[in-house]
Amino acid sequence: MSFLEISSATKSYGRHKVLEDVNLTIERGEFVVFVGPSGCGKSTLLRMITGLETITSGTISIEGAVMNDVDPAKRGTAMVFQSYALYPHMTVFENISFGLRMARKPKEYIASQVAQGAGILQLEKLLERRPGQLSGGQKQRVAIGRAIVRDPRVFLFDEPLSNLDAELRVQMRAELMDLHRRLGTTMIYVTHDQVEAMTLADKMVVMNGGRVQQAGRPLTLYDDPDNRFVAGFVGSPKMNFLPARVVGSDMGRILLEGIGGSARLSLPFAGELAVGTSVEIGLRPEHVSLRPLLPTESSEALVGEGKVAYVEDLGAESHVHLTLTDGTAVCLRAARGEASPGTTVRFFASPERALLFDAGGLRLRNRSARTK
Amino acid sequence: MTVIRLARRPDVWTVLKWVVAIAVAVIAIFPLWWMVNVVFSLPGEPVSINPRLWPTSVAAGIDKIAMIFAETEYFRAYVVSLIYSILTIFGVLAVSSLAAFEFSLFDFPGKKITIAIVMLSLMVPTAVTIIPTYLLTSELGWLNTMQGLVVPGIASAFGLFMLMQFMRAIPRDMIEAARLDGAGHFEIYWHIALPLSRNAMVTLAILTFMRTWGNYMWPLIVGTRPEMYTVGQVVGLFNAPLSHQTVDVVMTANLLAAVPPLLFFLIFQRKIVEGIAMSGTKG
Ligand SMILES: Nc1ncnc2c1ncn2[C@@H]1O[C@H](COP(=O)(O)OP(=O)(O)OP(=O)(O)O)[C@@H](O)[C@H]1O
Ligand SMILES: [Mg+2]
Repeated sequence: MSFLEISSATKSYGRHKVLEDVNLTIERGEFVVFVGPSGCGKSTLLRMITGLETITSGTISIEGAVMNDVDPAKRGTAMVFQSYALYPHMTVFENISFGLRMARKPKEYIASQVAQGAGILQLEKLLERRPGQLSGGQKQRVAIGRAIVRDPRVFLFDEPLSNLDAELRVQMRAELMDLHRRLGTTMIYVTHDQVEAMTLADKMVVMNGGRVQQAGRPLTLYDDPDNRFVAGFVGSPKMNFLPARVVGSDMGRILLEGIGGSARLSLPFAGELAVGTSVEIGLRPEHVSLRPLLPTESSEALVGEGKVAYVEDLGAESHVHLTLTDGTAVCLRAARGEASPGTTVRFFASPERALLFDAGGLRLRNRSARTK
Repeated sequence: MTVIRLARRPDVWTVLKWVVAIAVAVIAIFPLWWMVNVVFSLPGEPVSINPRLWPTSVAAGIDKIAMIFAETEYFRAYVVSLIYSILTIFGVLAVSSLAAFEFSLFDFPGKKITIAIVMLSLMVPTAVTIIPTYLLTSELGWLNTMQGLVVPGIASAFGLFMLMQFMRAIPRDMIEAARLDGAGHFEIYWHIALPLSRNAMVTLAILTFMRTWGNYMWPLIVGTRPEMYTVGQVVGLFNAPLSHQTVDVVMTANLLAAVPPLLFFLIFQRKIVEGIAMSGTKG
């Protein structure tokens, strides 16, 4: 039994379904990050875990106990809001201790808990201030402090860093990682930010349209996505998708044609794929190159041609954006100065790196070479 | 900066604005000032010199005030009015804030229609509701009692409306954070919603005081026995055509009635102006 289990949970507002059949297990001490486009239900799921939203059907249990009807304050969860939601008329001390005071804890206990929490978050000097007199980063720390003093079983964060500027975000991210390491408490974290998700997560949960698309280690999701959505959502710049047609399959290989117009590719694939099926090839920008691959890298590379639409020079590298003859856009990582806009170039990719998706967006896994 | 300002000639509009402002102030203040003059003058003088600009005898004025306190139940009326006002203020604050808390921060079945009914009552003039209210009060046996005076005034649609506008601005996150912090429904009201609406509450208290102290009609109807007379009613007696009082004594009674709101105004001037601006209407 896992620490936190969500099984077939759904949420609807009237007839409008927001979450459908969510199944997820979270282990004790894990740092779990929910990512997904706006409106996919991340906040709703978080609020269902903490009890601010009811669960329409299915169950959520923590340490084996079903939480569906447990009072939000008694679930042992603590939430940090994007808006911080500090009480503006109370001092930092009063803000942090509010929950303990509501629980009628003894004064000495409150004082020691607050002192300890303030110590962890370096808030000692700010305890007498009011939220209006704090910077964004300090407010964020107070909001976390309010969660810490309650010794929760699970911390829930809903986009906690999105109101901070870029530099402070990086700093707070490091602080959060450090906090997680020191407390060892389970944390569930919602974000829009790719980098935040990749760097913080032990387990990354990609959601779309009210469903969990895939959950797993960030690099697993990056390398081995279950579907086109996850493949396209994780990673920046995004994965390239090139339409293709199956024209033959033979001895554990299939032959694809019409890639980006005219290119052909033969790649190892042990599975059934009828001739004539439309598929999509997924290629990460770092796996597409402007120079021919060495024979050791690949026997039979995908070779295509495209016009350089524009180049983004980032200093260390450049993102070259190509337009193929059929209009497909391809982005690739190249060294500076490798391509100039307006020219027509050839690009190369190794078939071993190519992922296949069916017309419905599901990943077509090469069964012989499955990782799992 | 100051030098520049001194050197600059005020333009026509500024001058005009000041002239108008001063004229309005004089018009507003003169009756009060005239009242003071009449009170602080020797008996017999008032009618002969009209209008006068300065008080002539402070001692005579004090005599008249002492006489009113000694020979009428004025002091008792003060106490009644004060208790009436204070109880009404606390009642209005408690009822309005509790109702506003529910209406503005939570959803419940029938909420929309209830608000609509309350708002409707805001539009109905007092004169229309005064008879049913009187009948109800009398049915309860509350005529000539303090509760009869106070309770009907506690349900303030205006107060509810004003506090609702204010509490709507409290972020939902904050209420939810308090809920997660283990605060119960009442504790959220007491520790979060109330302190955050402090300004609106102060304003409502002030507006309620001004309205209650100056309320003439309801006390007149419900408090018919002399021991329930408010200041307003006592002044009314002096003002009555057959009261056989000289002008200066009537004026003294009026002046005494005006003193508390005047003091109140001087103390809370800024809050009152803010409050009227905030509520967009006079109490
Ligand atoms: N009270 C509500 N009534 C009806 N629909 C709601 C309600 N709350 C949320 N929704 C809908 O539920 C869906 C999921 O909302 P949610 O806030 O969970 O999205 P999210 O993934 O957190 O998005 P974001 O990244 O923008 O914060 C949205 O389509 C939203 O419109
Ligand atoms: Mg959200």
